[in-house]
Amino acid sequence: MLFLSQIIGRPVRDPAGEPLGTVADLIVAIGDKYPPVTGLVMTTDRRKIFLPWRSVEALDASGARLSVATIDIGKFSQRPNEILLKADLLDKQIVDIEGRKVIRVNDVSLDEIEGAVRVVAVDVGAAGLLRRLGGPWVTLARNVRLPVPERYIDWEDVDPLESTIAGVRLRVPHAKLAQLHPSDLADILEDLAPRDRAGVLAALDDEAVADAMEEMEPDTQVDVLEDLHPERAADILEEMSPDDAADLVADLDQDTRDEILALMEKGEADEVQELLGYPEDSAGGIMTTEFVAVEDHLTASEAINRLRELEPDAETIYYVYITDDDGRLVGVLSLRDLIVAAPDTPIRDVMIREPVAVSVTADQADVAEVVAHYNLLAVPVVDEQGLLAGIVTVDDALDTVIPTAWKKRLPRVFGR
Amino acid sequence: MLAVLGPGLVSGFADNDAGGITTYSLVGAQFGYTLLWVILASQIVLFFTQEVGARLGIATGKGLMGLIRERWGVRWAAFAALLMLTANLGSTVAEFAGIGAALGIFGVPPQVSAAVAAVVVVGFIALGNYSRVQYVFVGVGILVSGAYVISAFMADPDWAQAAQSMLHPQLSSAPLYWLAVVGTVGTTITPWGQAFIQSYVADKGLREDDLPASRIDVFSGALLTNVIAAFIVVACAATLYASGVTITSAADAAKALEPIAGPAATVLFALGLLGASFLGLGVVPMTSAYSTCEAFGWETGVDWNWREAPAFYGLLAFFIGFAALFVMIPGLPLIPVMFLAQVLNALLLPFILVFVMLLARDRQIMGNLASGRLLGAIGWIATGVLILLSLVLVVTSVAGGA
Repeated sequence: MLFLSQIIGRPVRDPAGEPLGTVADLIVAIGDKYPPVTGLVMTTDRRKIFLPWRSVEALDASGARLSVATIDIGKFSQRPNEILLKADLLDKQIVDIEGRKVIRVNDVSLDEIEGAVRVVAVDVGAAGLLRRLGGPWVTLARNVRLPVPERYIDWEDVDPLESTIAGVRLRVPHAKLAQLHPSDLADILEDLAPRDRAGVLAALDDEAVADAMEEMEPDTQVDVLEDLHPERAADILEEMSPDDAADLVADLDQDTRDEILALMEKGEADEVQELLGYPEDSAGGIMTTEFVAVEDHLTASEAINRLRELEPDAETIYYVYITDDDGRLVGVLSLRDLIVAAPDTPIRDVMIREPVAVSVTADQADVAEVVAHYNLLAVPVVDEQGLLAGIVTVDDALDTVIPTAWKKRLPRVFGR
Repeated sequence: MLAVLGPGLVSGFADNDAGGITTYSLVGAQFGYTLLWVILASQIVLFFTQEVGARLGIATGKGLMGLIRERWGVRWAAFAALLMLTANLGSTVAEFAGIGAALGIFGVPPQVSAAVAAVVVVGFIALGNYSRVQYVFVGVGILVSGAYVISAFMADPDWAQAAQSMLHPQLSSAPLYWLAVVGTVGTTITPWGQAFIQSYVADKGLREDDLPASRIDVFSGALLTNVIAAFIVVACAATLYASGVTITSAADAAKALEPIAGPAATVLFALGLLGASFLGLGVVPMTSAYSTCEAFGWETGVDWNWREAPAFYGLLAFFIGFAALFVMIPGLPLIPVMFLAQVLNALLLPFILVFVMLLARDRQIMGNLASGRLLGAIGWIATGVLILLSLVLVVTSVAGGA
């Protein structure tokens, strides 16, 4: 095993052993499980020279030895899938996928696997820090018997970030980040500086961003959305559930709001517009318009078929709401009741009539009370005419009682 | 606009902590109006250094120590963190000394007040509501600052001479003079202030469009700090200096408030010093722990618990514990300790500023917000003057001592 810090600054020698310069950086191609070193950057007294891996015979803690006597002095240009270990990774922040947090790289550990020198892990422990600090500190720590834990994160569990410092804008795929739970991804995005965040967001698809956005603090949501191109922002809002999208849009300033709503698809934009019409702390303000409702003249099997085609996006399909032909709420069925009913039974015969419902203008706290009192997973919301307008799911209802997330940021000496 | 305001004002206001009030009082009592020019000069430099800090925060969204680590690697970051920690440890000791001096007016021994203050600060942090309590300290600060302004007017100072001293510096080669100059600069422009404004701006998520508003904020903060500082100096010059009183204890310094408060001056001063100390304690140890953990990549912030962020809480505990114990040393002269902590800050400040100026001109880091020729030149001149000042202090002290 070899550490990047042990290689940087070591001599690069020609086959005869004559020093040509020193190792300035290593280039690896990301994509593989363990990215192989594909070249090195050498500093001579005059310039920086790129050396492809095929001209390197050996690389270890004593430096690099070249296999060729003559080197063509090519200017280095970074390819999209390549990162410079020192410039892009060392001392920079990465996401520890396993630990689900942002962390700083103290050193990079390399090893020979399948005939190539590869990055196997990043060192994030105190031992790596001490190694980087060097000489007297190591001795001091040993003398006072300071515990110096080693901690490595396997490269498989690491997602590098676009560095703030690097001259070249990296394009990191962030495939590993995309697999995180939206809540964890939201936490990580909240911890990142805006520029790092922009890099991650660019690599994720709209749906992943939308899911993570729903889990973020309102302040961060606005920051994130305002940093995006309006078209992308509109696409992401379309993917969010309309109630969350409406809450977020409500926090934007008027110009941005109009611009983004205009870019959204008509259907989605209308839903958001409609929800925006309700006060934020009313049932209308916290409800979603993605629910399942079927007409009361259907039979059980027709209703089930309707469910399949109707609302695959619905927040909960556990409750099937039943309306008359005008859209007035007349009953409710649990999915279980619907499935166990004989296929030909008309649903109006098995549905629960006069279901518990709240008005669009009901106070958020009252909605929470209803949900808690009747042990509901969701409560339907009706407008003045009794038309089914939306549903409030239990998580949104209880948000008033239990705040979504504890503030997670710099020790706030004064409130924001 | 309103959302952008804050960091500069807060940072500016927190500058008038225990060390600040004490230093300005000493300067006024010892030198009369003579050093008012330093207050004016500090204000100008403070504006420019805070502006750079805000700009760094806006451009990168990161804290100062994190940027130093990313740009120059772990050794330089450790160096910068060590400087920051040393300076801030001095400031924290000064805050505890301030509490000791304030309560000393009521006959409380510093050993007792330090212990009580440590428990109170730990309590606030543990309960996680320092931010709300801070408003109380700010309120006290405003009250006492207002008292100084009124007191300055009521003491009937020689305004013409004050204005003259502010605009036409009268230099001296006395070592004490330069010590006072350096102390005044050191209490106004601080390493922690630099880290604080940047982190605060970054954390607030300000962006490029917010820069003009942020500059107004920073300017207002610098102006506020120094107007108050100037009035403290004038009030002390018109009372203490005029009657030849040397400040050896908080009770002496309190005499500057007698024109307005009469016999209640000592209580008012004690209250102000106490509030200012707690205000500083809410900012300085936190900023130190935050910066250090940021440089080394450790979990940082009060949202982690003790087990998750041992380094952060360990540093906080060390700061509070060390400072409280230090102040408990029997017979420690509290007023000189507070003043010398400001000198320490001033001596370490230029190193931090060099990092700041180098970062601020780097286009790869700053993009469009990099310092242009004018701002860059001003920044370097300010840094250069501060380095020169430290050298003058060292030279005059050595020459004066020999």
